[in-house]
Amino acid sequence: MSSATGGDRGLESSLEASINSTCSYGSTRARIFKIIVIGDSNVGKTCLTYRFCTSYFPERTEATIGVDFRERCVEIDGERIKIQLWDTAGQERFRKSMVQHYYRNVHAVVFVYDITNMASFQSLPAWIEECKRHLLTNDVPRILVGNKCDLKDSIQVPTDLAQKFADLHSMPMFETSAKNTNDHVEAIFMTLAHKLKSHKPLVLSQPPENTVELNSGAKTSFPCGC
Amino acid sequence: MSLRTEPGRHGSEFRRRRKLCDIQRALAKDPPDVATLRRMAISEGGLLTDEIRCLVWPRLLNVSTEELPPPPGPELRVNNKDYEQVLLDVRRSLRRFPPGMPLKEREDLQEQLIDIILQVLARNPQLHYYQGYHDIVVTFLLVVGGPLATLLVDKLSTHHLRDFMDPSMDNTKHILNYLMPIIELVNPGLHDFMVRAEVGTIFALSWLITWFGHVLSDFRHVVRLYDFFLACHPLMPIYFAAVIVLHRESEVMECECDMASVHHLLSQIPQDLPYETLISKAGDLFVQFPPSELSREAALQHQAERTAVSTFKDFELASTQQRPDMVLRRRFRDSVRPENRNKAVLTKPRTNRLVKLAVMGLTVALGAAALAVVKSALEWAPKFELQIFP
Repeated sequence: MSSATGGDRGLESSLEASINSTCSYGSTRARIFKIIVIGDSNVGKTCLTYRFCTSYFPERTEATIGVDFRERCVEIDGERIKIQLWDTAGQERFRKSMVQHYYRNVHAVVFVYDITNMASFQSLPAWIEECKRHLLTNDVPRILVGNKCDLKDSIQVPTDLAQKFADLHSMPMFETSAKNTNDHVEAIFMTLAHKLKSHKPLVLSQPPENTVELNSGAKTSFPCGC
Repeated sequence: MSLRTEPGRHGSEFRRRRKLCDIQRALAKDPPDVATLRRMAISEGGLLTDEIRCLVWPRLLNVSTEELPPPPGPELRVNNKDYEQVLLDVRRSLRRFPPGMPLKEREDLQEQLIDIILQVLARNPQLHYYQGYHDIVVTFLLVVGGPLATLLVDKLSTHHLRDFMDPSMDNTKHILNYLMPIIELVNPGLHDFMVRAEVGTIFALSWLITWFGHVLSDFRHVVRLYDFFLACHPLMPIYFAAVIVLHRESEVMECECDMASVHHLLSQIPQDLPYETLISKAGDLFVQFPPSELSREAALQHQAERTAVSTFKDFELASTQQRPDMVLRRRFRDSVRPENRNKAVLTKPRTNRLVKLAVMGLTVALGAAALAVVKSALEWAPKFELQIFP
């Protein structure tokens, strides 16, 4: 029935495979940063992780069931780093009994909401609470990402509201679009990787100018042309 | 196919025609010969065409097709607690529809898909929607059409899928706990490697709760598996999951021994799996290591979580006895009660006979699997038998 869909899958797998293959750097073992991506159903967690790991926007994604995994190798200050993104299901029933296993040894958390869906923003306290329950330490870096800012006409969550919320929880906040190529998805994850590499609080990190063109800081919110 | 020699092709064509005749004959009997239909659904090629599936699937589920439900009115979607989530998932399920299908036709089917899901949920308020349920329902919709799909999915949801539709996914997790013991029995080395990698079992979650509908691109493979699962015990999907992992042993063992690598490898299911071989292997495994033999193993590992579940379960109605997880739990309880030890011994010879049958060859093994499934279901859950196996 579906040679075309089969082709699609093939494309996605081969893209993931090609990304993965860049992770084999001979004998040197890359350091691994494990990042979990959480948030309501349909906020774009899968698209964001795809965009970062494969540099393209998947036109057709489906509901994530359980946990999906993507990774990409990057080089930061001459060190090779493997960034593992764990893309989780949004439906509440999955996170209650299924997802705990994947919180183990997590280095950072990315909370995602959809700027065109107020309910997804209002769910954030529950996601933060859930994250606290699973993570033993409080110093795991967390960032807040408002996705879909290409949909300018449907914005429901004003930037300043999100920024206030992020400040309250001491997280950097970014607005972006996994769909637009110039909307900093790369920079967001790279900022996080820099932060993890430097082991300093994100507010203080100054990524080298030649790698990521942005200054990370608690007040950061990317202008995305909205 | 094209590589096969002429006699081979004729041979397979001959087998196909004979199978068609056998199915027609079994359907024409009064009452229909469900045991034969079950064997046909399991054995090579399954039920062959969607036309046959329309006739046989209702028999396998013991659903009467005389009165089809009327299409629901618009009030179904009003103030419906599941509507939003179902809508999100169905809108994103484009891959499940044949490529090249006209947009209008696909959109109509998606609307029907939403209606079927909401109708079944409305008729069974004890059931809870889960992401992935739509992958199962769409398969029935595409094969048998809306009205009949509603009836079949209704029956399936209160039986085979019942545990996945609890308020929580604890029972689903419990069923996943049977994966590793099956792998251990067949290939202890692979099992140990996976334990050391701490890979867990979530890579198989979508396989189990969508009957592989979520992960296989080729619809023909999906419906072939549905033939198999509809004819078998509700726990067969977890045996099939184990068989896939076992089939990929060398790939797994070449992985780095860590959770991410192994999870990543296993969750990317190859699209060119030898389905018929794997189906017959899963049938053999089921005969050789029936759930009753595994339940103790899995139970000992997860006693704490099971106790909590059992306590909760005591409040539930008799219908719970039809659930796959309930079946396992009962077997566990039975097996630890001293007065039931003798019973277990008494049933042993039958099991041995089936195991012997199973090693005699592919065809025999599949026949034996079908037999074991029917008999085991009867033994484990009489109510299940009455409703599902006429």
